[in-house]
Amino acid sequence: MTDMAASIDPSPTDWNGEAMRRRIRRRYAAERRFKLLGLAAILVSAGFLAFLLVTMFSNGISGFARSEVRLDVDFPRSSLFLDPAALEGFGADQALAGADFPEALNEAAQAQYGDSGRSLFSEGAWIGLRDAVRDDPSLLGRRATLWLPASTAIDIAAKGEGEAEAERLKARLAEAGRVRTGINWTFLRGSDSTDPSAVGIWGAFKGSLLTMIVTLLIAFPIGVLSAVYLEEYAPRNRWTDMIEVSINNLAAVPSIIFGLLGLAIFLNVMHLPRSAPLVGGLTLALMTMPVIVIAGRNAIKSVPPSIRDAALGIGASRIQVVFHHVLPLALPGILTGTIIGMARALGETAPLLMIGMRAFVAAPPGGFADPASVLPVQIFLWSDEVSRGFVEKTSAAIIVLLVFLLAMNGLAIYLRNKFERRW
Amino acid sequence: MADMIQSPIQAADAAASSPKMTARGVSVFYGEKKAVDDVSIDIHREHVTAFIGPSGCGKSTFLRTLNRMNDTIGSARVEGRIELDSEDIYASSMDVVQLRARVGMVFQKPNPFPKSIFENVAYGPRIHGLAAGKAELDVIVERSLRRAGLWDEVKDRLAESGTALSGGQQQRLCIARAIAVDPEVILMDEPASALDPIATARIEELIHELRGNYAIVIVTHNMQQAARVSQRTAFFHLGVLVEYGETSAIFTNPRETRTKDYITGRYG
Amino acid sequence: MSLGAITLLILGLGVVAWLAARARAAAFAAPDRPRPHSLPGQHGWYVALWTAVPALIFLAIWRQVSGNLIYASVMASPEAAALPAFDMQRQAILSEAYALATGRAETAFNPQAGILAPVYESAIGFYNWIGLAVALLVAFAGGAWAYSRVSPQFRARTRVERIIMMGLLVASLIAILTTLGIVLSLLFESLRFFSMVSPVEFLFGLNWSPQMAIRADQAGSSGAFGAIPLFWGTIFIGAIIAMIVAIPLGLMSAIYLTQYASSRLRAWMKPLLEILAGVPTVVYGYFAALTVAPAVRDLGLSIGIPASTESALAAGLVMGIMIIPFVSSMADDSIAAVPQAMRDGSLAMGATTSETIRKVLVPAALPGVVGGVLLAVSRAIGETMIVVMAAGLAANLTANPFDSVTTVTTQIVQLLTGDQEFDSPKTLAAFALGLVLFMVTLALNIVALRVVKKYREAYD
Ligand SMILES: Nc1ncnc2c1ncn2[C@@H]1O[C@H](COP(=O)(O)OP(=O)(O)OP(=O)(O)O)[C@@H](O)[C@H]1O
Ligand SMILES: [Mg+2]
Repeated sequence: MTDMAASIDPSPTDWNGEAMRRRIRRRYAAERRFKLLGLAAILVSAGFLAFLLVTMFSNGISGFARSEVRLDVDFPRSSLFLDPAALEGFGADQALAGADFPEALNEAAQAQYGDSGRSLFSEGAWIGLRDAVRDDPSLLGRRATLWLPASTAIDIAAKGEGEAEAERLKARLAEAGRVRTGINWTFLRGSDSTDPSAVGIWGAFKGSLLTMIVTLLIAFPIGVLSAVYLEEYAPRNRWTDMIEVSINNLAAVPSIIFGLLGLAIFLNVMHLPRSAPLVGGLTLALMTMPVIVIAGRNAIKSVPPSIRDAALGIGASRIQVVFHHVLPLALPGILTGTIIGMARALGETAPLLMIGMRAFVAAPPGGFADPASVLPVQIFLWSDEVSRGFVEKTSAAIIVLLVFLLAMNGLAIYLRNKFERRW
Repeated sequence: MADMIQSPIQAADAAASSPKMTARGVSVFYGEKKAVDDVSIDIHREHVTAFIGPSGCGKSTFLRTLNRMNDTIGSARVEGRIELDSEDIYASSMDVVQLRARVGMVFQKPNPFPKSIFENVAYGPRIHGLAAGKAELDVIVERSLRRAGLWDEVKDRLAESGTALSGGQQQRLCIARAIAVDPEVILMDEPASALDPIATARIEELIHELRGNYAIVIVTHNMQQAARVSQRTAFFHLGVLVEYGETSAIFTNPRETRTKDYITGRYG
Repeated sequence: MSLGAITLLILGLGVVAWLAARARAAAFAAPDRPRPHSLPGQHGWYVALWTAVPALIFLAIWRQVSGNLIYASVMASPEAAALPAFDMQRQAILSEAYALATGRAETAFNPQAGILAPVYESAIGFYNWIGLAVALLVAFAGGAWAYSRVSPQFRARTRVERIIMMGLLVASLIAILTTLGIVLSLLFESLRFFSMVSPVEFLFGLNWSPQMAIRADQAGSSGAFGAIPLFWGTIFIGAIIAMIVAIPLGLMSAIYLTQYASSRLRAWMKPLLEILAGVPTVVYGYFAALTVAPAVRDLGLSIGIPASTESALAAGLVMGIMIIPFVSSMADDSIAAVPQAMRDGSLAMGATTSETIRKVLVPAALPGVVGGVLLAVSRAIGETMIVVMAAGLAANLTANPFDSVTTVTTQIVQLLTGDQEFDSPKTLAAFALGLVLFMVTLALNIVALRVVKKYREAYD
């Protein structure tokens, strides 16, 4: 064999020859190109995220502000026949409800701005008038200056992209010092509406909150208990395999399928109320549960066997070992998984459309069985509106949603880092 | 095999010519921790040099400085001077890619790529552009496999995956892969420790045959192996090079008591 | 008394039972006597569980049963005879009456509902009283029996633990139930659909226009339910355009992060990519519709290709971006699983880092990466909001990415929006589409998990 090897021995490679040097230069150039390509990929991904956030932010930030137009109301001469005394004590709400504030607004606006004066103000502007009177009944006895929300056209013009006519109108008001910009409390306190200047996200937010409560109450215990069972007690048999396969697949089933399940089972078989946080929460719980199970199993798995042995060694039962030792140690991991699962559920839209949560809901839900909307669905509904005023509201709602999701994910990452334990 | 042990044959005249590699005052740090302390050693052409010493004494670490594989470990830092043919291998003008082609390496655990046997051997020549065409590549692959003593076993299954071979065959494949780029020095880190005695014997035979063309450095925990295959032996202890010299001298008449204790199995 | 109040009452009884049993068991413990088998609290739990659980199970069943009984007794009452026969209207009146009876509404919109409300109220009251009586009976019986067993030798802990174990098992069976629920509901509704529309037409038909489904005067004539254009649109957007974006970007990002990036950059970029993964799809959808789609249309028009506002390209691009973090984290895992020895082997021969990556690491990690891509495809074709908002409704069979196409998920949403009767083929078609989607994603997931698992085992 030695002879054979020797007979085909080549001349030694000339590592410093011109050809070899050129080749090495080429290889290093390829190396640099490849590295740049990788960097470019990262930058494109990050750049996209930045672009998305910047777009949403710049579109949406104005949604938290609103333009207000000045209105001088001469209350004694208005058609509001209200006695300031009636606004003290018990009958106040009734008295307020009986008064015709829309008409009073109409009159005052026409008196101040001419026949088309009412169109300067938002449809819901009379509520501002009412609230002013409620807060300070003494207004009824004098002339007062109020700032009321502007109509959508004026609002858009004030934010710099209105139509020519509205722009002119706004310019004239501005000259006279009769418009100003304020915080849009309606957006934070109100519900859905057909008028973009009167919409708010509180209704949808409360819907989301109720839905998430149902989801958490169902998915968390079931998820944790399943994880405990599968990781600590389950015998290796066909049933266990089936459970495992089910969970792994459920974690990857498209969310819209869960919506179909909710529609078929919760609505059509069990006749639970349509559009309600109860059904939305149930549907999302089924979707979130596998996420919690998988995270829970990983967390439980990472608790070292020595701890179990120690507890068993001093005579704890298998249940006690788990509930006294394993679960507390695994809790941070389980919580992290739960928060991530809940964040996903909070941003979920498609399954909720299936169970009818796309209805127009103009009041915040009072309970788990009332018709409700949720934040992502509200975003979807507003994005479909043709009116220009909805663009900033949609983006503003997106900002609110993203803030919550970022906070949740940040909390999860914090928990993970804080409690990450090396055994 | 018996005659192998008593063959310090041409050792004397080879040592007379200039060494292939020289290390002077080499220390290696992992972060703050010093793993190799001020080692100076010459590696001679056409010689097998064995590194022995207790576990954790820095043999692998020092071996990896010889082709700058330590560069791949973020925390590792090398001090001192190492030369290949009187060229400083840590100089900025030295190209690692070329250096590693000239100073090949075989690892403790066989690590064939998950590719065909042919592709495993052809990998080096391809990336370094050593073959002008398919025909030449075939020749290189065959030659390397023959020299690694693997050709007859695999010539009919070159397209099969390299990971499908037995452990001993895999290690010979890795040796074939290393010699396919026609290196000048081959570093072997416990190349036979994962193999059974028969496969080990084949590898030793192979090392013996390859010695005619390359400078070989081998790390081993097996004293008999060191005695069988090497002409020179270096004994490391706690990161320090304790003793270096002719294998026959080290094994029969060590100067240091630490060496003697180790060789006779008193500790380690 | 409402069912909710009864439930609370039962839970209260459980607490009482817990306290009573614990007090009784506590009396066993005395220094001179042998130690009882179980702690007092464990006896408490045993009795409390026996008091509350059977009664609560009964209430859960009763809720369902009594609903039907109430409905039956209301329908049998003389007041119900005047109800209109037409189903929708009748249901509306009934539900209004129900709302009045349970105090959820205050005034009746329909006078008939006002008449029916008292009938409803008395029926509900009657059946709730029955429920209350039986539930109390069950609770007392269970509690008394369990209480009578409390003794120093009684192994309450073992019993309670057995019950807990059952609870654990039941919890983990929910996953199977959910899967079963999905399969059965999809299958059941799909079978009803296929009794109206032939499966062959559905799976191989080229024409999709469910909007023209059954007209009242033309029983039996139906719209076209050929789903091929939907399948094509789904594949075009989710498996082709999105993957052309996501695979190179995701893979290269993972390679750069694992092989080149400094640990500082990695510490920043990984959470950033996670954020990209956490942005809700409705936000991506809005972004696609508002910003990307108009840009894509302008691009198409400027290079002279017929382009529509809602285009496959816009939806696919944004979906691809959404998938990037997914692909990159799968690729990251697969590359990290390739043993270091492989990388060293290549570097030790004088390969550059990029040669090592391209010729050794990526090929070695390929099964894992392929598995990841399959999972990504399954996620992309099941994605709903982006396509609903940006892809359009036109069932075109086109390869022009600037044209609008529609997808399976878009059509499911479309078919189930608005008020149709539940058994029109139009509504049922959504379930048939859902079934197809479920099967395809399931198959993709199973194959992908297999591939990934095999691959992991190869290096363990
Ligand atoms: N990557 C690393 N990071 C930090 N310390 C390391 C690293 N590799 C090795 N060391 C340390 O350097 C010292 C020398 O290790 P080395 O692997 O060179 O020993 P060795 O002589 O080859 O041992 P063995 O015979 O067991 O292979 C040891 O103390 C080891 O813990
Ligand atoms: Mg070593």
